[in-house]
Amino acid sequence: MKKQTKAALFGLTLALTSALSMTAFAGDSDKVYRTVDEIKESGTINIGVFSDKSPFGYVDENGDYQGYDVYLGNQIGKDLGVDINYVSTEAANRVEYLKTGKVDIILANFTVTPERAEEVDFALPYMNVALGVVSPDDHVITSLDQIGKDDQVIVISGTTAETYLVKNNPEIKLQKYDAYAEAKTAFENGSGVAWANDNTEVIAFANENPGYTVGIPSLGSNDTIAPAVSKGNDSLLNWLNDEIVSLGKDNFFHKDYEETLLDTYGKDYEDTLVIEGGQPAEASTEAEAAAAETEAATEAE
Amino acid sequence: MDFGAIHEYLPLYRDALFLTMRIGWQGILLAFVIGLAATIILHFRIPVLRQLTSFYIELFRNTPLLVQLFFIYFALPKVGLRITPALCGMVGLGLLGGAYMAETFRSGLENVPLIQSESAASLGMSRMQAFRYVVLPQAVSSSIPGLVANVIFLLKETSVFSTVSLMDLMFTAKDLIGMYAKTVECLFLLVVFYLIMLLPVSILGSIVERRMRRAEFGS
Amino acid sequence: MQSLGLDVLFKGTNFLRLLEGLWVSVRISLISVVISILLGLVAGVLMTSKNIVLKAAFRVYLEIVRIMPQMVLLFIVYFGTTRVFGWNLDAEASAVIVFVFWGVAEMGDLVRGALISIPKIQYESAEALGLTKQQTYLYVILPQTVRRLIPLSINLVTRMIKTTSLVLMIGIVEVLKVGQQIIEANRRTSPNAAFGVFAVVFLLYFLICWPVSRLAGYLEKRWAA
Repeated sequence: MKKQTKAALFGLTLALTSALSMTAFAGDSDKVYRTVDEIKESGTINIGVFSDKSPFGYVDENGDYQGYDVYLGNQIGKDLGVDINYVSTEAANRVEYLKTGKVDIILANFTVTPERAEEVDFALPYMNVALGVVSPDDHVITSLDQIGKDDQVIVISGTTAETYLVKNNPEIKLQKYDAYAEAKTAFENGSGVAWANDNTEVIAFANENPGYTVGIPSLGSNDTIAPAVSKGNDSLLNWLNDEIVSLGKDNFFHKDYEETLLDTYGKDYEDTLVIEGGQPAEASTEAEAAAAETEAATEAE
Repeated sequence: MDFGAIHEYLPLYRDALFLTMRIGWQGILLAFVIGLAATIILHFRIPVLRQLTSFYIELFRNTPLLVQLFFIYFALPKVGLRITPALCGMVGLGLLGGAYMAETFRSGLENVPLIQSESAASLGMSRMQAFRYVVLPQAVSSSIPGLVANVIFLLKETSVFSTVSLMDLMFTAKDLIGMYAKTVECLFLLVVFYLIMLLPVSILGSIVERRMRRAEFGS
Repeated sequence: MQSLGLDVLFKGTNFLRLLEGLWVSVRISLISVVISILLGLVAGVLMTSKNIVLKAAFRVYLEIVRIMPQMVLLFIVYFGTTRVFGWNLDAEASAVIVFVFWGVAEMGDLVRGALISIPKIQYESAEALGLTKQQTYLYVILPQTVRRLIPLSINLVTRMIKTTSLVLMIGIVEVLKVGQQIIEANRRTSPNAAFGVFAVVFLLYFLICWPVSRLAGYLEKRWAA
């Protein structure tokens, strides 16, 4: 018996070390992605979207994917002439899905950041975003200083809000969740004092649910949201960039906004959120430009 | 393999190990207590409580912990019952484990031949005395392998704690992968830390089991 | 029933979608169990071997299955294998692989237990009748073990169905994920949907697993006699 245990322990160590060395020497394996031609040939494109992040990516009561991201996804499928297979993704899995080639494109409200750009390739942007913090009306948080030592802020694992707070405000206690639906339900249940996420998302939440206010509408830098493909998939990347530019000529993304986001945000946010044809306004003058545009629009009416 | 990253993540995994162990063992302790109570209720056929206990055991043995946690943590607050993530983890594990422990104790009791209680009775022991001094010790010793299996099972089940925002080992790995995309390193550390947590329990379990078996057969 | 959030279940095809989600779980576990039983029979016979290397290898295998959470294995197979070997497994295939890895260990160990519990005299009598080793296993030993194994493997089915709840973590849309999607799509109109939906999911799991585990218990008692 003793001998057997020893042998087993030895084997276990051996198995572990070999697993370790295998992983240590495994370079980046061969190309995991599919080119445009390969996608067309297969007849189906795999697109990673959220399935629980209304109004950007969610599933309606008939089981169909809907939302701002999905609207673009449908157009991409149409223009490529292939069927679309939507893959439900969580925030923390998005990079992984591309790195392992499990999807061709991520269209899951994916904010462009330098860290992510090292792992995946971003196409031209289609939406503006910053971070925001929403809290209940009876205790609105307008500055991060208001968050007490024992208070917990809800974030979703793998989002830019998480990375930002971990980096810049490590003293704030975070309560992390896997999925949007979980985080929102926990927030409704009062499990945290505030919820930090993309400002688009928290504004949508406050607009749709009475009793909540976005106390911090903009935090951190102004970023953009763009489709992402596996690192090195130039053929699909170029195709997507051309697609976004040409869609811009028909004001596609404004149409997308009006179809999917208008109910939630109203007219006011249209020009601040939408990026048409992959051309974001200059970061510094963005707010002014947006304000000017809104004014112009009001005047025109 | 990026050893710099491993070094950097190590403290996070250590914290996660402590949290997993703390809530895990609290849950196991609770499971033990619940299981014992349930067994006593069933053994002495206490009316009403007996039916409720059987229902509880069937309900929690036939549903996944993940679903139980979802219900306790996300659904119950909607009807006014709110608890913290840590408490939820412990209670969830305790309720799940209690049902399994009760089953283990029950089969342990069943393994004690009827003649043992009869002999005890013929020696003039009361029912309580027979249970306390004759049946229970034998039942416990034959339950040991089942108990060890339950403990390992429950410690493994902690891997779904991410659902209730508890930073256990699994969630720490997932979270780091989501932030920094060092998948191989994170999964490697995950495996190592689960081994650290569970291998000693498993080995200790086998040793105790062997001892018990030897004791059972007498000199 | 508005306040308990049960109304959302009757909107559109919501309830049907929940059932479809449940079927995904059941399907994964059924496929896994069938493969596990077949491979487990082979593994169990091999486990009774006296070969020290084989014995140690199985000890390691059983120990890994015993102490690694299925969730960890799911992540390693789903994400790890692509990173290291460049295999591209879809989520359901990964789930089946992990469940089979687990199931074969359990079945193998059960088969081994059943085999060594068969009295030696059975082997000797078979040999005396001039049966070869294969014939002995096929006609004498296996029929006796199968009877013991059926209740145990039915039991394994329920445990696998329960464990399939984890596959939502690797992106398979099963009953829990469908539940979340329903809650999310109706957050504005039914803020209490979380209660109704999760209560129903809880109940659905119970309604699937309970009869099956009762059946296993019944067979076990009946055939033990």
